[in-house]
Amino acid sequence: MMSYQNYVIAAYAVFGVVLAWDFLAPRLQLRAQLRAARLRATREAARSAAPELTR
Amino acid sequence: MQPVIRWFHQLGSPPTFDRFAARWAPIAYVLGLLVMAYGLYGALFVVPADYQQGDSFRILYIHVPSAWMSMAIFALMAVYAAIGLIWRIKLCEILAMACAPIGAAFTLITLATGSIWGKPMWGTWWDWDPRLTTELILLFLYLGVMGLYNAIDDRRAAARTAGFLSIVGVALLPVIHWSVTWWNSLHQGQTISLFGKSHMDPSMLPPLWAMVVGTHVWFIGSLLARARADNLKREAGKAWVLKMAGTE
Repeated sequence: MMSYQNYVIAAYAVFGVVLAWDFLAPRLQLRAQLRAARLRATREAARSAAPELTR
Repeated sequence: MQPVIRWFHQLGSPPTFDRFAARWAPIAYVLGLLVMAYGLYGALFVVPADYQQGDSFRILYIHVPSAWMSMAIFALMAVYAAIGLIWRIKLCEILAMACAPIGAAFTLITLATGSIWGKPMWGTWWDWDPRLTTELILLFLYLGVMGLYNAIDDRRAAARTAGFLSIVGVALLPVIHWSVTWWNSLHQGQTISLFGKSHMDPSMLPPLWAMVVGTHVWFIGSLLARARADNLKREAGKAWVLKMAGTE
C-alpha cells in the first residue's frame, strides 16, 4: 500500500488529463481546418461547374 | 548552398513544413509516450519510497520535468519570436505561437502537482512563496501571449505583438530559477542538476531523466502538430491546402 496514495493518483491524473488535452487540441484544430478546406474546394468546384449567368 | 541550409530554407515554405510536420509529429508523440511510459513505470513501481516523504515524493517525477519544460518552452518561444521579429520568418512566428499553449499546459501541471504535493508535505495547497508566485506569473504570461495572439485579426501582426510580450517575459525566467536562492523560500533549493552533482540517490534518477527526455520529445510532437494546424489556418484557400484536403 502506497503512502499518500490519493495525492499521488491525483497528481498523475492531472498530468494525464493535461497531456491528453495537449494531444487532442491540435488534432481537433487540424480536423476543423481540413474540413473547412474541403468545403471551400467543393464550393469552388460547384461554382466553376455552374453555367455562367447571362443577361 | 549547403544542403542543410537549403533544407532549412525549404522548410520555411508552408507546404514543405506541412509535409514535414505531418510526418514527424506522430513519430515524436509515440517516442515521447514510450519514453515517458518507461519513466512513469520506474517512478511508480521501481524506485523506493523516500525515507522522509514516503510515496508522495513520486509526484516529483512529473513535477520537475514539467517545471523545466515550462521554462524551457518559454525561452524557446522567445527565441522563435525574436527570429520572427528580426528576419520576418513566418514559420518562426507560427512556431513561437504554437509554443504558448504547450508551455501553459506544462506550467499548469507544475502548479497543480506542486500544490498536490504541498498539501501533505507543507500542510497547505498554496503559499505565496517566491518560486510558486513567479511560476504562477509565468502561467499568466503564457495566457497573455495566447490572449494577445487571438485578440488581433491580422495573424502576422498578432504573432509579432504576442512575440514581443514573450521576449519581454524572458526576464522572468532567471527570477524563477534563482528565486529559491535570492529569497527565503519555502520551496526547496536545487536538488537535481543536469551537469553537476545531484542531491538525490542515484537509484532514483533514471526514471527522472527518462521523464525529462520523454516530455521534451512529446513537446516536439505537440509543437509540430499545433504549428501545422496554425499553418493550415493561415494558408486556408491556397491551392496546396485545397489539394491536400481533398486527399486526406
